[in-house]
Parts: sequence; C-alpha cells; structure tokens
Amino acid sequence: MASREKELSGVPQSSDPPHGQLWELAERLIYPFRHGEPPEPRPATGFYTDTTVCIGCKACEVACKQWNQLPSDGFNWSGNSYDNTAELSATSWRHVKFIEQFGEESSSNLAFSVMAPNEPVLNRWLMMSDHCKHCLAAPCHQACPTGAIIQNEFENVYIQADICNGCSCCVAACPFGVISRSEMGGHSHKCTLCYDRQRDGLEPACAKACPTKSIHFGPVDELREQARKRVEELHQRGVPQAYLYGDVASETYSELHSFYLLVDRPSVYGLPDEPFNPWLHMMGDYVRSVAGGLAAIAALLIVVFLLKS
Amino acid sequence: MRGNSTAEHLSTEPPLPGGATQSGYANTPVTKAPSWHGIIAWDALLNGMAMGLFIVAAVSELAAPAIFRRVAKIAYPVALVLLLVDLALLVLDLGDSLRFHHMLRIFKPNSPMSVGTWCLTIFSLPLTAAAALSLLAEIGIDFEWVRILAVVVGLLPGFGAAAYKGVLLSTNAQPGWKDARWLGGYLTNSAILMGCAELLLLSALMGQSRATAILRAAFLVLLVLNVIPLGLLFRNLQPTHARLYTREQQWRVGVLIFAAGTLIPLGLMLLNGGPLFICGAVIFLLVESWGVRFVYVKIPHTSPLEIRSGEIAIDDHAHNGKPS
Repeated sequence: MASREKELSGVPQSSDPPHGQLWELAERLIYPFRHGEPPEPRPATGFYTDTTVCIGCKACEVACKQWNQLPSDGFNWSGNSYDNTAELSATSWRHVKFIEQFGEESSSNLAFSVMAPNEPVLNRWLMMSDHCKHCLAAPCHQACPTGAIIQNEFENVYIQADICNGCSCCVAACPFGVISRSEMGGHSHKCTLCYDRQRDGLEPACAKACPTKSIHFGPVDELREQARKRVEELHQRGVPQAYLYGDVASETYSELHSFYLLVDRPSVYGLPDEPFNPWLHMMGDYVRSVAGGLAAIAALLIVVFLLKS
Repeated sequence: MRGNSTAEHLSTEPPLPGGATQSGYANTPVTKAPSWHGIIAWDALLNGMAMGLFIVAAVSELAAPAIFRRVAKIAYPVALVLLLVDLALLVLDLGDSLRFHHMLRIFKPNSPMSVGTWCLTIFSLPLTAAAALSLLAEIGIDFEWVRILAVVVGLLPGFGAAAYKGVLLSTNAQPGWKDARWLGGYLTNSAILMGCAELLLLSALMGQSRATAILRAAFLVLLVLNVIPLGLLFRNLQPTHARLYTREQQWRVGVLIFAAGTLIPLGLMLLNGGPLFICGAVIFLLVESWGVRFVYVKIPHTSPLEIRSGEIAIDDHAHNGKPS
C-alpha cells in the first residue's frame, strides 16, 4: 500500500530555498499558532443517500479514492458478500456495504425469489454507500484538543491535516466508527465532503460518479425535503419499511448532515440504532471525578488534624 | 436515531425470511478502538502517582508544616520525575509526536484532553519551582515563602490534571468506557490513595516517625474509602464484564483486585508499621492500581470471543477431563 505516497513523502514539497535547521524548527513551533480568518458562512451542505437505488457498483469508492489521491488498501475478500473494503478508514472514505437477506431454501432460485411479486422483501440484497455523517454536533469535533477538526463554512466536519497530531480522541469519540488514524503519517483522516470541489462550485466526486443517483448532494434543507418526498413515494409503492435515518435530531444525538434512507434496522447496515453523544455525560463525570478526589483529600485532612496534636 | 419513521420502524420485526442466516452488519462492532494500548495504562498510573504525591505532600505540609515539611521537600522532586516520565509517554503515544505542542493552540473546555493538557502544562511550572526550591533548600539556598507559594499555586491545576483522566476515558463512544460513569471518581480517588502510599513510604525510609504514624492511619482510611468508587465502577461496567467474561472470571478478577489492592495492604499495615511492611503494602497497591487501569484501557480492544472461548475450553477440560 501507498508506495507512491512513501515515495512522494521523501521528495521536498516546497520550492522555497532552504533556511537552515533553526529556522525550520522555529517555523514548526510557530506555524500551528497562526490562525487565519474564517471564511464567510455558506448554506449548510450534505449528502442524502437513498439506499433503495444503490446497486453496489462502488463507483463512489473509486471516485473518492481518485479525487482525494487515497492509496489502495489492497484487494482482500472480507468474507461478507462483495464487500472487500470492510470498513471506513484513513484511506477509504467511502465504503459500499452489502447485505444479503436470503432464506436457505430460496438461495438456489435467487433471481425468481427476488422478482417474485408476492414476496418482494423476503429475499433481497441491500446495499449502502457509507461515509462520514458530518454530524451537526459532532463528538469528534468536541473531542479534538488541537482544533484540527472544525466545521467549515458549509457546516461540514473537516479535519485540518496540517494541525492534527494523531491523539486519536476523535477516533474514540465517533459513535459511527468513521475516523481512524493513518499508519503512515499518524494523523486522522476521513471524508472532507470534497471541500476543495465545493469551494470551486463542484459537487463531491462520489455524488458526481453515482450512476443511480443514490448519493444526492446539496443544501441540507433541500435534501431533507427531497428525502421525505421519496419516503412517502416508497410508502405508497408498497415499501412501508422505508424511513430516514439522521434527518432530524433525537434526544441523544444531533441531526446528521449526511443522512440515509433505509429499509431495515440501522444496525443491519452497521449503524447504531440509537446513537448517543458521549458529551451528554461529561459534566456528571467531572462532578464524580472531583467528588472522588475531594472525598479522599477531606479524609486525609481529618486524619492529619486529628493526629497532629 | 429516531427521525421521521424510524420510531415506527424500530418497533417492527425486520423482514427476514425464516431460515435466513445473514443479518448484515448487525454483529460487527460499529465503533473503532483508538490506538491507546499499554502505554496509556502506564500513563494513567504515573499520572495518578505524580499528581497524588504532589497533592498529598502539599495538603499535608500546609496542614501540619512542622511534621511534613522534610518529607514534602523530597516528595516534590519525586513527583516531578514521575510527571516527566508520564509526559514523555503521552507525547510518544501521539501519532505524530513532533506535533505535541499543537495541543496548546487552543483551549477547549469541552474537550477533556484539552483541559488535561492545559492542567498538566500549568501544573508543571509550580511543580518544577517547588521541586527546584526544595532541592536548593537542601543545600542552604532557602526561598521558603516562594516555595510555599509554588505549592499553593500548583494545587488546583494538579487536581485538575488528576481529575481529567477518567473523564477523558468515559466521555467517548467506546464500548465499556462510555458506561464507566465512576471511572473518573475512581481514578482521582486512587491518585490520592497512591500519593498517600508514596509519601508514607518516603517518610518511613527517611525515618520521619510522626509523619509515618499519621500517614499510616490516613493510608488505612483511604484504602477503605477507595473501595467505594471501585465498587461503583464495577457496577457501571457489569454489562460489559458480563459480555467479556464469564461469571467465574468476574469473581476471580474481583477477588484478586480486592485482595491485592485492599486486603493485603490493609493486613500488612495493621500487622506492622515498619518500612519493609510499608514497602510491601505500597507495591501491592501499585500493582493492583496498574492492573485495574490496564484492564479498563484494554476494554475496547478486547474480543469477547477470545476471552470467553478460552474460559470455556478451560472449564470443559476441568469438567470433562478433555479439552473441547
């Protein structure tokens, strides 16, 4: 993997003349403390992924890798249908999931079972293109101690790769298992929602490449409206299981700027059934932590005052 | 997530056929474990030892200066050494260690890691001053009021540096950690207990009989007190333990932790107050403290099948006389 990246990392990346080691050290120390002016806020953008029309072609995965110059992860069968990506990682920001739901007796006459009009949902193949959820109140964003993770002007969760120091707090905080730390640079990486393309007025590479329009990109409000209409349409067409995952906030989690139309339980797709923002517990945990320490100090003081005279 | 029709959907059975074996990704873990391994268990131990030693020495010295001043002056440099080793481990655990100073770009009260980093950074200044002035006092250069000022100034950030660690581990999405509501309470309480044990050992080795007698009594009280947050933590993690370990394993580990961390040190202290017994009690306590931290840091990396299958194999062997 990544022999090309290794090769590139050895090549000087700047055309500036060399300045000497002391200057470089000073630059390295000062650089992260320079804060630029944040850009003007723009309408919030995101993804709406309609899993009912996904055909598992993996064009989104390929487009993502290609545009973001992500290295190959090799080609390994995961043992789970046609899923050879296995999970989202620092080098795979899109992951097409395959879920085979077939009865044992019907596996031999697969085509007929799928097509049979009386039992459309009993034998089926679910597919879903997974990616970062760009949560409105993202735990990774809250956890990041360096400020490397920001919400950019499009309200997308973005990791500034030049600031991240690989502490992994974001990895631990994400309830969707999206972020991971690269073994190569030691920094965290994930979907940027093609920030560079968005700034140039282009749609993200995955949405552009999707041949079935399973991946929709646009202003979040418009996407929600579009998605709700689609759910209603599916209900009318005899798919009562269709629902949206993450389009609105729950008691324990904010809305997602990348939400999904699903037809089975979230856990079947590898999503938490009821995601929980760990920060809801933080104040209570601090209180217990301080109380534990203060109780011990109080006990120590009592013993010292009782026995010192 | 209960948006739109989700709530209705969750109440219905999935449309799986009777003989279906595939349930998609339902049995695969959703979260990713961070690359925090043994090094973080050592960090949690050294953090507790350094902060605990400083806090106990400072509180004791401020409460009874005549009794604790001499031992406290040795405790501060020891706490500084422990802190430096701890900081080195924290830096080494980063994916890009040369960017450790990026932690100081901003202060984020919402991020326990940011709070901890700032507490550690601020605390290191008065601790260094207190340690240096304590050593200078030993060679006759005495700035007593400055030293006392440094000790007082160090108390609050020192306490913060002890208190953040458990919150850092419990405020995330990892299985086990996310349910450990009392992890912070236990770790902070345990830090003070370890600090008391270290100061007791130092005073015993230095022949400070009055300080030793008081700290010995305090150590006994704190040993018993520490059982409360540890018990609450165990209760928090009952579902996780049940998933990872069999009932027998849970009992065995529980008894081992209680014996090594409480009963044996308690027995040794009640038996004899000599340096050898104190040393034994402190060693038992530190080993138990490291064990608890190691087990909890490892939880998200632990595979239930790995542990439980091992146990089943052993049990089968014991019951049937042959391995399964």
